[in-house]
Amino acid sequence: EFANGKKDVVDPEVRAYVSSLVTALGGSGADEEGRYILGDDALACLRDLKRWLKLYDEKANRFDVARCLAESNLVGGDLLQILAAWPENEDENRMKSKIALACLELLVPLTWPLSNDKKEMTVNHHRHIPYLQIAQLGYKRSIVNFDGARILHTAVRCALPSMAQDAGDRSTRDEGIIKLLLYFIRNIAMIAPPPNVQYEGDEAEISRSATIDAFDYQDIFQLLLTLSSSMGEDFNTQDVIVMDVIFHLIKGVDIEKLFMDEEKVSNSKTDELIRLRKKEAAMLRSYQMHAPTRHNRFGAMAWIQREDSKRTTISGQAAVTDSTRGLAKMDSTKKFKPPHRAHKGETGPMDFDNPVSLSVQATKHLRTFVEEFLDAGFNPLFNHIRKAIDREAERIMDSHPRQFFYLVAWFLEAERARRRCKKSDKKQKPEDVDSFALVASVLNQEMFVTLNRAMDKTYEEKSWADLSAAMKCFTQILLTVQEMSESPLEDDQEIAENILNRIFYEETTHDRVANITRTYKDQGFGYLDSTTELSHNYLRILEQYSKQNVDLQVRSRRRVRKKKKAAREAGEDAPDDDVIDESEGEDESRAQKMLHERKFDFKKFAARFVVQGCVDTFVKFTSYYNDLKPAQLKRAHRYFYRVAFKQEMGVMLFRVDIIHLFNKMIKGPEGLDPQSSSYKEWEEFVKQILRRCFKKMQERPELVVEMLFSKINSTAHYLEYGYEKQTVTTT
Amino acid sequence: TKSKALAAGLGIDEEVEVTRKPRAPRVKLDEHRLLSAAGIPKLRKRAKDHLKFKGKGHEFSDATRLLQFYQLWLDDLFPKARFLDALAMVEKMGHKKMMQSARVEWINEGKPRSSVHEDS
Repeated sequence: EFANGKKDVVDPEVRAYVSSLVTALGGSGADEEGRYILGDDALACLRDLKRWLKLYDEKANRFDVARCLAESNLVGGDLLQILAAWPENEDENRMKSKIALACLELLVPLTWPLSNDKKEMTVNHHRHIPYLQIAQLGYKRSIVNFDGARILHTAVRCALPSMAQDAGDRSTRDEGIIKLLLYFIRNIAMIAPPPNVQYEGDEAEISRSATIDAFDYQDIFQLLLTLSSSMGEDFNTQDVIVMDVIFHLIKGVDIEKLFMDEEKVSNSKTDELIRLRKKEAAMLRSYQMHAPTRHNRFGAMAWIQREDSKRTTISGQAAVTDSTRGLAKMDSTKKFKPPHRAHKGETGPMDFDNPVSLSVQATKHLRTFVEEFLDAGFNPLFNHIRKAIDREAERIMDSHPRQFFYLVAWFLEAERARRRCKKSDKKQKPEDVDSFALVASVLNQEMFVTLNRAMDKTYEEKSWADLSAAMKCFTQILLTVQEMSESPLEDDQEIAENILNRIFYEETTHDRVANITRTYKDQGFGYLDSTTELSHNYLRILEQYSKQNVDLQVRSRRRVRKKKKAAREAGEDAPDDDVIDESEGEDESRAQKMLHERKFDFKKFAARFVVQGCVDTFVKFTSYYNDLKPAQLKRAHRYFYRVAFKQEMGVMLFRVDIIHLFNKMIKGPEGLDPQSSSYKEWEEFVKQILRRCFKKMQERPELVVEMLFSKINSTAHYLEYGYEKQTVTTT
Repeated sequence: TKSKALAAGLGIDEEVEVTRKPRAPRVKLDEHRLLSAAGIPKLRKRAKDHLKFKGKGHEFSDATRLLQFYQLWLDDLFPKARFLDALAMVEKMGHKKMMQSARVEWINEGKPRSSVHEDS
């Protein structure tokens, strides 16, 4: 017990043991010119400390020792000093390499990610984790920014002898050392200020940029490239940890910015500054327009005359000048808030929807790494992991499929960005064009099976972040394949054609996309973005493809079942191939018929996106309009345009809250910036929609009531066309 | 016993009944309120009398008028909620059985008689 009556949070005996060990480890003194001198039994001390961590903390599920070590500044004061004292030319020194390894063995558990799983946390966890989270930030800062030596590089040197051996010759110990090193790098990449904590030091020292710069300077990128490019040959089980490291490096990085030229970057930065200043000025102007012109105690009071000789009084000038603002003021004074649910999105280290910005230097380094990785590491690494996921290997944890799909999506987009970059660089001759072989490993049939299965499973289990990653992956595959089909190389075209045919062949895929879009509810903005992006691109590419391929056929489940049932009734075994063979007798008239049917089918498919659920999803997405990028706004615009004018079901948009949103986007307050590129097309669209809405309301007065509600499908059809759907006969 | 009687006289032993006034029930925006005279019937009546549009070229001012029309109606019906919140609540009520049958009825009222005859 301390003098001020507070109790120590750690058992004093434990603290005494641990700190005496830390003291015995070594230290620096004036008579040694400030150099760090190892204690006599340093190696034994390190091993004892490790034992303490293992036998006390781990076994009893506490964080006491870790807390003592954080308080005694073991990492910055001792471990890093010891590692720094192992110069590059002394690789042969057995004693020193042993000690370095022992340091690494301590660093890994100390930097290990702290789980915030509420169910498994004890009182002790609640007591220590906040402190340790801050301590880990300190560890990262001192490791990444250590002046005396390249700490990460030194860690790599510990594992080099093990890595140099052939995969078959390695002992379990060697494998363990490699793993230890990779986990260390993973931990360093992963440590970031927790979402609810304000870090008090210099953020720049532990930011993503600092990590990337350190990884470049200390040759960690080289290590990652080596490992991933020889995955499956020299390395095997390390694939998921390498993936983990890469995930924590690139999550949230904006690809477009990554592949901008340096000159362009600085240009775009000035442009951005100018643009943002303009936006701010426009915003202020719109506030100014509504700001009071007199002092705040001027005390104007107005009333609105309502029906039944009722009056509503409103204070302030606002109501005097115009009724819209009067009503807005009346609304804003109301206090009642209906209960609402919190969103189910992810926050924490696995969240990939949080954008990060990189410094110019870090952007350059990361870009180099990404390009080299695409050239050498992409296929071996992701092919290997995909196989591991498929056979449910033991090392695959719950978070790995999510990381896998996210990374595949990210790198596919990066590859496309790189191609765009190259194309604009210099006029290329057709023979110089690269084929898509660099990313071929994620464009094969096995990958689609894995992806489809993952989407089904995560959708059923309601693990939304996983589903979001899988959807991103699917979108990027679609976009890549579409780009491939426009490639000047004939081989690429043919392959792309094939892939698209396979993707669109399964009706279950169509169903899935439609269902996911329909059922959005409180999953957070990242998920909303993935969903809308997928359905937008899926519809777009499918429409294009079905126009080009007149005889596109779809394997529907119902048909197969019927067939199987018939077979069973006939007493036969169900045939293995459910493929319906239609190649026989396929003449021109038949192809024409298929075209007709298919076109009808696409319309039918697109009609599934006109249901209220999908409209609500896109409305929710659009309600973030002030934060959306032009591409995202375009996506929403295309969708609503399709609903209102292509499918001719504008009625679905005639709901008061939707009209309110559209009106607000154009007319404000806080509307779209009139100078922005998307404003014009939105204005035109909203105008058209409003015009139709009023026309319809005059045609059918009963719409006044229906404007309040989500429409039932049959009602909507009646409102739009004026007759019941059943009376229509399909010719 | 004397002291006891005295105590009784003071009313110490008598049980004091604590009656708490039941809290006033919270006003809810439910289907009954929507279907009452102040609800949708009033909206329909008002729309017939007041809702006029200027038409082409005045889309946005018409939209403002339309939104105000709904806002004032909701403010009369359920004054405590803000406009958008109240809209969401009304929308939710639209999924109730009672509301749905009422909605179908209103729509059928609007249908031309002859076509109903043809269909059935």
